Amino acid sequence: MAGGTDLLIQMRSGVVKPKLILDLWPLRKELSYVKSGDGYVRIGALTTIEELGNSFLVSDKRYLGFRDLYKQFATPYLKTLATIGGNIGTGHPMSDAAILLLALDAEVKLSSIEGDRWVKLEDLFVGLRNIARKPNELITEIRFKEIPENSSTALLKLDRRRGHAMGYVIAAAYMALEGNKIIDVRLSFDSIGKPFPGRAYKTEEFLKGKEFSIDTIHESFKVMENEMTRISDYRAPAEYRLDLSKVLMKRCLLLIKSRVERGV
Amino acid sequence: MGEEYSDMTIKINVNGKDYVVTVKPYERLIDVLRYKLGLTSVKEGCGRGECGACVVIMDGKLVPSCLVPAYRANGSKIITVEGIAPEGKIHAIQKALIDSLSIQCGFCFPGIIIAAKYLLDHNPNPSDEEIKEALEGHLCRCGSYLRFIKAVKLAAKYIREGKIYFDVKEVQSKIFPE
Repeated sequence: MAGGTDLLIQMRSGVVKPKLILDLWPLRKELSYVKSGDGYVRIGALTTIEELGNSFLVSDKRYLGFRDLYKQFATPYLKTLATIGGNIGTGHPMSDAAILLLALDAEVKLSSIEGDRWVKLEDLFVGLRNIARKPNELITEIRFKEIPENSSTALLKLDRRRGHAMGYVIAAAYMALEGNKIIDVRLSFDSIGKPFPGRAYKTEEFLKGKEFSIDTIHESFKVMENEMTRISDYRAPAEYRLDLSKVLMKRCLLLIKSRVERGV
Repeated sequence: MGEEYSDMTIKINVNGKDYVVTVKPYERLIDVLRYKLGLTSVKEGCGRGECGACVVIMDGKLVPSCLVPAYRANGSKIITVEGIAPEGKIHAIQKALIDSLSIQCGFCFPGIIIAAKYLLDHNPNPSDEEIKEALEGHLCRCGSYLRFIKAVKLAAKYIREGKIYFDVKEVQSKIFPE
């Protein structure tokens, strides 16, 4: 258990009944940090969303996606408990931090008595609330390569209310621009077809190397339609989710363009 | 399988007073505050960190006391509504909430007051948008939301004018004149 904002709620609902819980909170002294250098940004697994929102990342125009995360994540009092490692560890599709980190092509460090191993975040997700972590392993660090000056990130989600919004759809994007040309782009969503966060590779391929324009984005929607399968549930129908994914992707990319060019 | 756990003894400082409490590992901070220390301002609304009624300030951070295991509070300083003003006084936020006629049933109030205090401690002159952001996780089923915004602005004004505490009797006599 990291912050406990997911596990304790599940226990209260009677969904999970663990015999033993290992509380990692005392490790916060060692595992709560945000630092950069050696070409990577490294985030300790027990860094809370609040600490992330007060770190140097939010004042760097390249990492404004973290400000989006801070603004849209649950409520002020949950940000002080919820951790970035926990957000990944729960393996829930509606994990804002995990989706943003996917767009940043992050890697996760799993530590155990046998040593450390780095796993790409996207390979970590294997099913609903299920991640490829061995029982004796612990998520200790998340790292991603520093992104170039001419690029930025964004995270958007939509729900009926703002506080506590889980989101019908969560979309995050990273894009690097050279003049008006898209040189690199990564798009991640809460779900592509499987019940865990994933990247829209075909749409990315389509966009790469093209001129940035609304028309290009609209054309890419066709690719995305084929790539993405959405589900219907009591919260939103699949058609709406698919449409919303396109809209949020477009908004993300426009936001990134403005962030790259004007810093906001 | 028998239940294998041992009680823990924790030291906490609540509203400036030190307490030593024996807790079970599965007890939550809200249980300790309400049932062991008798601080009934801490309300249990949903018990799952969604309503904001149980929010307290722990070591200068806003936390939902229903999601904090009691042992985690060991050695920490906690502030609840009972502790925001000295005996016989009320805090400017409480006065502002009364003045703005926000109080209907009052169940969400302890959470609102603590969240507003946390906001005003960090930002003495918040905008509407900042107040909305600070209070977004607090549910009020009576629907006083718009009045909260007015109230927090009023409280900020009181505090800027140096009027942090108000006498309870004086406030009462204005509401219920003899």
